[in-house]
Amino acid sequence: MKRIIIDREQCDGCLNCNVACISAHQEGSNFYTVNLGSADSQSRNFIKFDPKTGYTPIFCRHCDEPECVLSCMSGAMQKDPVSGHVSYDEAKCAACYMCVMNCPFGVLTPDRQTRTKVIRCDFCEDQPDGPSCVRACPKQAIEVKEVSR
Amino acid sequence: MKIIIIGASAAGISAARTIKEVEPNTQVTVISRDDCVHSRCMLHHFLGHERDEAGISFVDGHFFADNHITWLKNTAVVGLNTAAKAVTTDDGQELFFDKLLIATGASYFVPPIPGLREATNVYGFRDLKDARLLDAECETAKNAVVIGAGLVGMDAASALLKRGLKVTVIEMMDHTLGLQLDEKSARPYQQHFAAHGADFLLSEKVVAVDLDETGRGVTIQLASGKSIPADVIVIAAGVRPSFDFLDKTGIATEKAILVGDDLQTNVADIYAAGDVTGLSGIWPNAMKQGRIAAINMLGERLLYNDRFAIKNTVNFYGLTTLSLGNINPQPEENFDVIVREDHSSYRKIIMKDGHISGVIIQGDIGGTGFLQHLIKQQIDLSGLDKDVCDLEYSDFYAVDPENGEYHYAV
Ligand SMILES: Cc1cc2nc3c(=O)[nH]c(=O)nc-3n(C[C@H](O)[C@H](O)[C@H](O)COP(=O)(O)OP(=O)(O)OC[C@H]3O[C@@H](n4cnc5c(N)ncnc54)[C@H](O)[C@@H]3O)c2cc1C
Repeated sequence: MKRIIIDREQCDGCLNCNVACISAHQEGSNFYTVNLGSADSQSRNFIKFDPKTGYTPIFCRHCDEPECVLSCMSGAMQKDPVSGHVSYDEAKCAACYMCVMNCPFGVLTPDRQTRTKVIRCDFCEDQPDGPSCVRACPKQAIEVKEVSR
Repeated sequence: MKIIIIGASAAGISAARTIKEVEPNTQVTVISRDDCVHSRCMLHHFLGHERDEAGISFVDGHFFADNHITWLKNTAVVGLNTAAKAVTTDDGQELFFDKLLIATGASYFVPPIPGLREATNVYGFRDLKDARLLDAECETAKNAVVIGAGLVGMDAASALLKRGLKVTVIEMMDHTLGLQLDEKSARPYQQHFAAHGADFLLSEKVVAVDLDETGRGVTIQLASGKSIPADVIVIAAGVRPSFDFLDKTGIATEKAILVGDDLQTNVADIYAAGDVTGLSGIWPNAMKQGRIAAINMLGERLLYNDRFAIKNTVNFYGLTTLSLGNINPQPEENFDVIVREDHSSYRKIIMKDGHISGVIIQGDIGGTGFLQHLIKQQIDLSGLDKDVCDLEYSDFYAVDPENGEYHYAV
């Protein structure tokens, strides 16, 4: 399957991946017009900073054994047997947030504005050029790699 | 190989799906009393008329056909012959198996309170069948009484409020959601429910239900002397593992079906998963047990190790809470209780000797999933010079260089 791989050593915390992610999920916006102040602007990837360890990129792994899928009681999250990615059907989701509770890496989060859905990486499935975070990284620290399952 | 699965809910469906994923040629028959696959965690959305029956299914409509699984719905297993390896059903069929999975879940319990068991308008809230009966009552009822303010009772109450009934919730503890919340985090929920028309009678006990001449319970009598009028009564006072067809089969049971780490019962080739095992009473664990039992039935060996089962999330009226582990420690247990509050959340972390044993986070619960891992693995935090409320997964970050999966550096 394809997984987003980030070279932590390369990351200088510029957050372009965050902005690109928000923009990719904000209808009709681009890097210049994206509204970062609006309540629905939530990135699906995270860069954490710690003075001792520096920048740590936390991106959804679309895990081999996804705890989010096993905890999903509505059937909204499914592991696609072909792509290996975890799909999410917002209409099916009942916002119980057991997936947020069960994600061992703290990647999943409720939507801030309505608390009716989950904010999660969709691998930019509707974008022809693949994940927006990859394209946005000026250090080319983010790439999509084929990994074995 | 022929596998029979009894139960078409979290554990049963997860097992069926896994079997077909791993060994598509296995012959699988699922037998369920349910006539419609549904998620019990969404029953309140059905009763509240936010979703229809299809809307509370957790599989798509073609699941059984697409996966070539035979589904005998609306059918109850009434007997099991372990020597002949056959189950019998309430419509007189005898079905043979090589391996059997019992995933019959739990049933609600009606306490032996005078009048409560006899009253004809008392309903549990476990199956779609219960929700359909309540739905019909809602057409005419005005006053609903919910006995028990756990998650199930609160789910039911929220739906009855949506339907415009006057709802009174009676609870023995001094606050609602007592297994998940402390008094402080329960209060905002009680306020939300009250704002939508609910009354809470806390630290109260039902002592009797008075029946009218038709056998319907019309008045609830409380230990305090109060009495409450009722048109419809929901009992949400707990559940019991459900396995009455196992009488005299030799399968070892106590309050639940006893299983080993491989989820096999004491009888070879017969497995159990989900609420019926008493190992857990929550959806994620039932799913995982179903998956593990399936893999073991197919001849691999996978053990059920992820036993942490005191965990839940609550979301009513857009107020979200995460609850993990022991959240109401007794003073004599000598825990450290760390509380932090700000404009967006209330956090309470219960610790001893650098190990977390309980967590409540109310408000912003984003990214908090790693906390469960810290409790489950009993990760020692005493060496970290960071406030426990500020911890994140990134403090334990480690990556598998081969496949890019994350794990914990400890
Ligand atoms: C209202 C409500 C809200 C809940 N909310 C949450 C929540 O927010 N989070 C959470 O984690 N958990 C929640 N739960 C608990 C969760 O639903 C259960 O843990 C889960 O459903 C257990 O799955 P199971 O497969 O073990 O059994 P069950 O869901 O109990 O299903 C049992 C299956 O077996 C069938 N069956 C039983 N006996 C027979 C028989 N003799 N013959 C044939 N078929 C039979 C039934 O028809 C059914 O298909 C909730 C439960 C309820 C009732």
